[in-house]
This record gives sequence, C-alpha cells and structure tokens, in this order.
Amino acid sequence: MRTSFVFSEVVTGLRRNVTMTIAMILTTAISLGLLGGGLLVVRMVDKMQANYAGKLEVSVLLTNDVSANDKDCTQQPCAGLRSNLEATSGVESVVYQNRDEGFERFKRIFEAQPELLKLARPEAIPATFRIKLTDPDRTDVIKKAFEGKPGVKGVDDQGKFLERFFEGLNGLRDVALILALIQAFAALLLISNTIQVSAFTRRVEVGIMRLVGATRWYTQLPFLIEAVVAGIIGAVSAVAGLVLFKAFFLDRITRNLTESGIIPPIGYLDILIVSPWLFLVAIVISATTGYVTLRLYVRL
Amino acid sequence: MIRLEHVSKVYKTSTRPALDDVSVEVDKGEFVFLIGPSGSGKSTFLRLLLREEVPTRGRVYVSNFDVAKMSRRRVPRLRQSIGCVFQDFRLLPTKTVAENVAFALEVIGKPRNTIVKVVPEVLQLVGLDGKEDRFPTELSGGEQQRVAIARAFVNRPLVLIADEPTGNLDPDTSQDIMLLLERINRTGTTVIMATHDHGIVDSMRRRVVELAYGKVVRDDARGVYGVGR
Repeated sequence: MRTSFVFSEVVTGLRRNVTMTIAMILTTAISLGLLGGGLLVVRMVDKMQANYAGKLEVSVLLTNDVSANDKDCTQQPCAGLRSNLEATSGVESVVYQNRDEGFERFKRIFEAQPELLKLARPEAIPATFRIKLTDPDRTDVIKKAFEGKPGVKGVDDQGKFLERFFEGLNGLRDVALILALIQAFAALLLISNTIQVSAFTRRVEVGIMRLVGATRWYTQLPFLIEAVVAGIIGAVSAVAGLVLFKAFFLDRITRNLTESGIIPPIGYLDILIVSPWLFLVAIVISATTGYVTLRLYVRL
Repeated sequence: MIRLEHVSKVYKTSTRPALDDVSVEVDKGEFVFLIGPSGSGKSTFLRLLLREEVPTRGRVYVSNFDVAKMSRRRVPRLRQSIGCVFQDFRLLPTKTVAENVAFALEVIGKPRNTIVKVVPEVLQLVGLDGKEDRFPTELSGGEQQRVAIARAFVNRPLVLIADEPTGNLDPDTSQDIMLLLERINRTGTTVIMATHDHGIVDSMRRRVVELAYGKVVRDDARGVYGVGR
C-alpha cells in the first residue's frame, strides 16, 4: 500500500468538499465537547464524593436558649442530649460546638466572601452537636429520635443536602450527555452524507481504479481516512474548546466555591484524562459510520 | 485465452436477453472486432469479461480465471490483467498525462521506482514523449486516446479491451489509433475491439465476430464489416 498516494487522495477529498468538511468537524466537535463536559461532571462528582465520604455529619442544632447560656454543655438539657446521643447505636463520635466556635467555623468557610461575613452575627449561629456516624445511612434514626426534644431546634443532615447537590450535578451531566448524543447523531448523518458526496464527486477516479484492478482497500480507504481525519480534528477542537471553557468561563464563575473547598476545582489534568476518550469515540464513530456507509450506500 | 461457453445474460429490467447462448473462443495474441448494431450485446460481452456483470447462464474464462465463478476478492487480479479503452477516454482532468498513466499503477500498489521507469517507456510507445506534463484538456482527441491506451497498456495486460475507441475521432486520427492498437497486438496482447467503424474493419481484415439481438450471427477469420460489401 502506497501511503503517500492514499494520503494525497484524502487531502484532495477534504479540500474538495470544504463546506461539508467544516460542518462535519464542527458538529463532531460540539458533540465531543458536550460529551467531555459530561465526563468532567462525572469526575467532579466522584471527587466530591471521595472528599466528603467519612466527613459527613449530622448536626443537632440547639435552641437559642441553650446556645446563649451553656458554653460547655454542662447543664440540662444539653448534657442529657449528649449522653443520649453517645448512647445511640451507630454513632461514632459526638462533638459539642458552642456558639463562638460555630461562628469561627463560619468565618473560616466564608473567608472568601467578606460581604457575607460583615452581615453575619454570632447570635445567628446556634450551638451544635456534630455527630459522626459509623454508618452514614443511619441519619434518619438520629433525626427521628432527637427532632422536637427539649433544647433541640432542629436536626440538619448534610448528607441530604449533598444528595440534592449531586442530583443537580447529575442532572447537568445527563443533559450534557443527551445533547452530546443528539449532536453525535447529527455528526453521524453528516459523516455518512459527506462520504456519499465525496464518493460521487470522485466517481470517475473510483471508476478507473476499479477498472485497472485496484483492491477494495485502495478504493475505499481514502474515504474512510477522510472521515477519521475529520473526526480527529473534531476531537482536537473539542479538547481545545474544553480548555478555553475552563480558562475563560468555568474558573471565573466557580472561583469562590473552589477556593472555599465546597466543590473540587476542575483542573487541566482532568481535561487531559478525559480527552483520550473523546479521541477514541471520534475515531470509532467516524470509522464505523464510514465503513457502514461505504458498504450500504456507495457502490465502489 | 478467452472462452465464453453458452453464455446468456438477462437483465432484470428487460425481457429480451442481452446475450443469448453465446459461445466464442479467442486465442492468445488474436485481434478481434466485435461488431453489431447498438443493443446487439457488444457492451454486455465486454462487461462480462471484466466481471462488471455476471452471466445468467454459461461460463466465462479469461486466461486462467473462471470469471463467472470467482470470488469478489479475486476480481482486482482479473482486472489487472485486462486493459480498457473507451470512446470517451475517461482521463482525469486534474492530472497531467504522465500522472494519468501513473495513476493506474499507483492504485494497484506498484512501487515508485517501477512507475518512474515504465511510464516514460509507455508514453514513448504511444508517441506522446514530450507531452508528459500536459493536461488532457490541452490535447487533441487522438492524443487523449493515446493517453488512455498508454494507461490501459502500462501494466502489460494479457488482454486489451477497446469499446469503440475511434467513436469520437476523425478518420485520419482513427487510422493512427488503429496502427497503435496493431502495434500493441504485435507484442502478444490479445485485443478485442467493439466498433461501428466500417472503414477500419474492412481495411484491417482481422477476425470479425458479429452480434445481433444477443446472438453470434457471424464469426469470420478475415472478415469485413458487412457481408457482400
């Protein structure tokens, strides 16, 4: 097989259908970009789950009365609640955090937002039991047992909040993946169409090739490579798009959240890890579409 | 070299067979005219040899290929041993004379050094030396047909099939093309030429196979175009 010959045929083919080629590359790029975005969200959720695993707590918030008057949890009802909590099965540890400590913690979490800190008063922060569970699924038991007891203002389950947050992220991921799928379908049709047009514009060449006894590989490979090259250019553009999206958009809007450690930052490394998949998908899809099109629709 | 045994070909779109129980044998190195009116089956005859069509009945042999029965994978090998020339030349307008000829070798995977050696040789044989870098549009009809012949012959085929090669050319130019085909025939290549050109058939006095309504109606060793002319 003369590679130089096949390569020059590919270049001519792509140049001859330049508008179709551009459409094909753009659609592929958008599809792969969305797929990449979806994969990045998956990575982010995984990281967050790893971050929070073992750190999840149930907080029992105490009433204002207790918060104001019982700094060390030595009086009732605080002391009684504590011993009750410690006696509950599945509880690993119970830490009492009084109002001042709670306010310090609040300041640490939101140090990136001075406006918020200016508004906050220690009086708004209740004294709290922070409870670690051996089994994170047992939060409901604590909630049922302690909600409404004297001195308890409420039971706050971080797990529930995070669950909702993950649901939001997973929804985002699903939307990205569905859009990617629709775009991929459009890309597939475009690839198929481009190959058919390409085969039609080169029917004289292909006719001669068949006549002088060129093998199927020789007549079809240029079309196939054409599709794959366009797919790879699409994947390159998609990766570039993700990098630009991160640098100029994502980093700005999520700076506060990532700096305060609430959500893990998406790094260039994450994009680097995701991109081989995009290339793989691009190559597999364009090659199979090309092959099937040549088999079904193009008589070469 | 070429043998058709009781070959019939019926196209799906037609009730009348394009070829009807045709048996013809052509020896190595023969020069055969295939004549007959339009629709008599000449083109089908040639397409069967190239395995562009498969016969409905009968067997077709070219060299040692059992053409009707061979697998698709082997078809390229068959076609590499047959050269083809057409009325409409079928040259690639974006390629030069030399590139058009080289194309036929490139696409069957011949190495570069072979190509640069044989292309000038065959261009000299057909009398086109010095015009290697011209484009087909810059050539006369006769010259374009020479390029097509060079392309058909460059791989030294066993058989050269010519489908009305002089159909678009004036009589003088046609004579030149016939001289060229004769020269190629003298190298041992079997030539099968479908034509309507009385003058050429009559002056060459070669074997004539005449088809009418898909049947062989005449097979003369040294024939003329029309009987009793």
